[in-house]
Amino acid sequence: MKVGLFVTCLVDLSRPGIGFAALKLLEGAGCEVVVPETQTCCGQPGYNSGGREIAKALARKVLAEFRDCDYVVAPSGSCSGQMKVATVHDLFQGEPDLPEFEALAAKWYELSQFLVEVLKVDAVPGKFEGTVTYHDSCSGLRELGVKMQPRYLLQMAGAKIAEMEGAERCCGFGGTFSIKLGEISTRMCENKCESIRATGAGAIVGGDLGCLLNIEGRLRRTGDKETKVLHFAQVIAGEG
Amino acid sequence: MQVQSMFFKQRASEKLGDELLQGNMRKAKGKFVDGRAKAVAEFGVWEEVRSHAAKVRDRALANLDAYLLEFEANATRRGAVVHWAETAEEACAIIVGIARANGVRKAAKSKSMVSEEVNLNEALEAAGVEVIETDLGEYILQLAHEPPSHIVAPAVHKSKEQVAELFVKAHGKPRLTEIPAMTREAREALRGHFLGADMGISGSNFVIAETGTTLTVTNEGNADMVTTLPRIHVVITGIEKVIGTLEDFATLIRLLPRSAIGQTVTNYLTLTTGLKMPDEADGPEQMHIVLVDAGRTKLVGGPMQEMLRCIRCGACMNHCPVYQNVGGHAYGWVYPGPMGSILTPVYVGLENAGDLPNAATFCHECAVACPVKIPLPELMRKLREQQFDRKLRPWPERLAIAAWAFAVKRPALYAFLSGIGARVAKWMGGREGLIHSLPGLDGWTKGRDMPAPAGRTFRELYRQRSLERR
Amino acid sequence: MGARENILARIRRAQGRPGGEPTAAERAAVREAIARHEVGPQPPFAHAPDRLAQFRKECDRLGTTHAQVASERDVPAEVARYLAANGLEPRLAGWGEFAGLDWAGAGIAFDNRPARGDDRTGLTGCFCAIAETGTVLLLSAPATPKVTALLPETHVCVVRTSRLVDTMEDSFALVRAEVGDPPRAVFFVSGPSRTADIEQTIVIGAHGPYRVHVILL
Repeated sequence: MKVGLFVTCLVDLSRPGIGFAALKLLEGAGCEVVVPETQTCCGQPGYNSGGREIAKALARKVLAEFRDCDYVVAPSGSCSGQMKVATVHDLFQGEPDLPEFEALAAKWYELSQFLVEVLKVDAVPGKFEGTVTYHDSCSGLRELGVKMQPRYLLQMAGAKIAEMEGAERCCGFGGTFSIKLGEISTRMCENKCESIRATGAGAIVGGDLGCLLNIEGRLRRTGDKETKVLHFAQVIAGEG
Repeated sequence: MQVQSMFFKQRASEKLGDELLQGNMRKAKGKFVDGRAKAVAEFGVWEEVRSHAAKVRDRALANLDAYLLEFEANATRRGAVVHWAETAEEACAIIVGIARANGVRKAAKSKSMVSEEVNLNEALEAAGVEVIETDLGEYILQLAHEPPSHIVAPAVHKSKEQVAELFVKAHGKPRLTEIPAMTREAREALRGHFLGADMGISGSNFVIAETGTTLTVTNEGNADMVTTLPRIHVVITGIEKVIGTLEDFATLIRLLPRSAIGQTVTNYLTLTTGLKMPDEADGPEQMHIVLVDAGRTKLVGGPMQEMLRCIRCGACMNHCPVYQNVGGHAYGWVYPGPMGSILTPVYVGLENAGDLPNAATFCHECAVACPVKIPLPELMRKLREQQFDRKLRPWPERLAIAAWAFAVKRPALYAFLSGIGARVAKWMGGREGLIHSLPGLDGWTKGRDMPAPAGRTFRELYRQRSLERR
Repeated sequence: MGARENILARIRRAQGRPGGEPTAAERAAVREAIARHEVGPQPPFAHAPDRLAQFRKECDRLGTTHAQVASERDVPAEVARYLAANGLEPRLAGWGEFAGLDWAGAGIAFDNRPARGDDRTGLTGCFCAIAETGTVLLLSAPATPKVTALLPETHVCVVRTSRLVDTMEDSFALVRAEVGDPPRAVFFVSGPSRTADIEQTIVIGAHGPYRVHVILL
């Protein structure tokens, strides 16, 4: 089966290791993985800034890049929400290319959902000793239903999970919100960091790099140089 | 209430630094959310009732004019006078006119957000009418000369110590420390006003077309005093509140108190239709119903009509992480939180409330909590689209988006720029890999470090890997 | 043109309907939709096998106390017991339908009149009661003044179990069948008045009664 990897712009720019972890997991499970070279971004920053046409142009670009894949997988609930939900329910409503986007949405998976629901993996290469706490990113959780899948995979890698209070509460990232309304964003992130600290876990794990950079940035600024901040792909691929 | 929504950022900043407020907000946090979650869990058919509620609201909104006339005809048949107000000023003028014509000296009010919207109290006071807010929260705020910070729990931002202080000043009695004693003191202070008022003013959560009925939903019983004791009853409400039938009301009222505070039912629900009969001991001799537009028709028929379904339960703000941190006053007008971030820009102008549609991470908690399935984040996004199209956002922001959009559609250029960006930013991060300050991005770096990129982009490394494998 | 006409015209323009007011056909369609009185989905517990048990359960949750008596003749004794148990004076203002009971025999001064601001206890009946929410429904009329349930600190309400219905929708059907148009005040009472406006702390007894006691018969 031919699986297109949508790397996401943040992973590409900032944490390529997450992309390689995803690659390792998919290839390890026997997928033929293709990574279209021209991919850039799903368009969500434009979409959420009110730039509807920009978002549509980028969605069409993504569609063209992944047209011949059986599946598309992204290590992000947020970008996946953009391509699975926003395109179909809003951007291309009433437009001739809606069926193509519906088809794309149907074959598009967030990484943990793909591993658990499609590949049905029962083993992962990573071995993790210690306790982690998991942050549920909003789009993945509330748009796609990502909740138990990453936890299941983390436990498969041996991680113990200490749930934080308010794991489902937003970390305050919100894309450009984190810059436009930075002070509120920082406070929301501080609330999240308080919950993380209270668990005593050695690592905070999540499924969206935006949230993770936000949390890591706040933890480090407040003097926490110890707590690891990891994408679940890194943990279960053994690349953490 | 004066619109201050253009200063959202500054106001939010002040509220974040207000330790007393933050403490009060922390105490409130969770109570509403947990209460609602429990009520929803034991309800059993929440989603079914939610869908039905959205349907009955949509049904009336889709033929709003005909439903309003049906309501008007039935209310009139029962002896009420129905007034229509296009603007806030008109609404006030109508009610001031009723007060003048009847020699009204004192008006007792139960909570009405529409009356806050149109500045009714100021208008009546200017006309020489003493106005007494009788909802405990509203009464506290009237003493404090403050607007509500929440549509259901208006004084949620106040501590009991702050309330005790206000009561000492207003009632001239010894300072109280216990909440039940304070509540009793307010009851005693207000009882005389109920019995002495010439006019009772209430809102109406819905108006029912079938019967010409208005209604109040309270726990305190103050609205029942207001609608029963004075000789004149004035209802002020929005034109969007009309629903078809008593059965529609039964559906909506299963959702409203559960969504608001986790209660299965409020202690009092009163449907009021028409006037006192000649041999009745209680009830008003006159009933006036003021139907207010004041911006609502701007939502009718457009892509944001769903917003008019709103039943004012407050669940969206209770669940909003932004509201939880900044409180209602930061929003600068009557309606805070997600519903306010849509209503305020529409009612007072997008140019006067530009930050509100942006004051959301699109975490979708509000959309999940909304009992009538208003897609609040999507509606906020539509306002952002209007801002984008009308170039209402600050120019640096527009420039940044334009530049990003230019690059991101051009893969080769994007690869080149992101390659440079990754290297420069890695260098900026130094040995710890943390960037402490970034020009233009101080919104982020004021309170957080920016974890530096690894230095080379995924696409570079992947190409290298592909070459090596060959 | 007045505000009414402007608002209606704006709505019609926005929703793409011609003209300044709804047509006769549109009005008729709305009346038809209303006449269907469509009942929405209801929670499973609204149709409990034991309606009385459901009513009592919800009363307990709301802080409404309740007692069962065998017949109307036993009401004064139960009221006397309740008032004594709560340290309340044996005097009340009550609805006329109960004036003929033997109040003197139970040691209670019964004032057959609507309650005033200074009455301590009010006695009412009800039109019906709703099991789903533990609610009593009072309809205003000369003989059934609402103030009696509202002004005193204690509200005692006589509920005939034959008048117990499952849901609010059922109560509306009963109003339509027996009364027609709803009277001026259709007053749903679910427990004593309360507020949580200071620090979200629930306090029983805001502006209305501190106590609601239901006597089932």
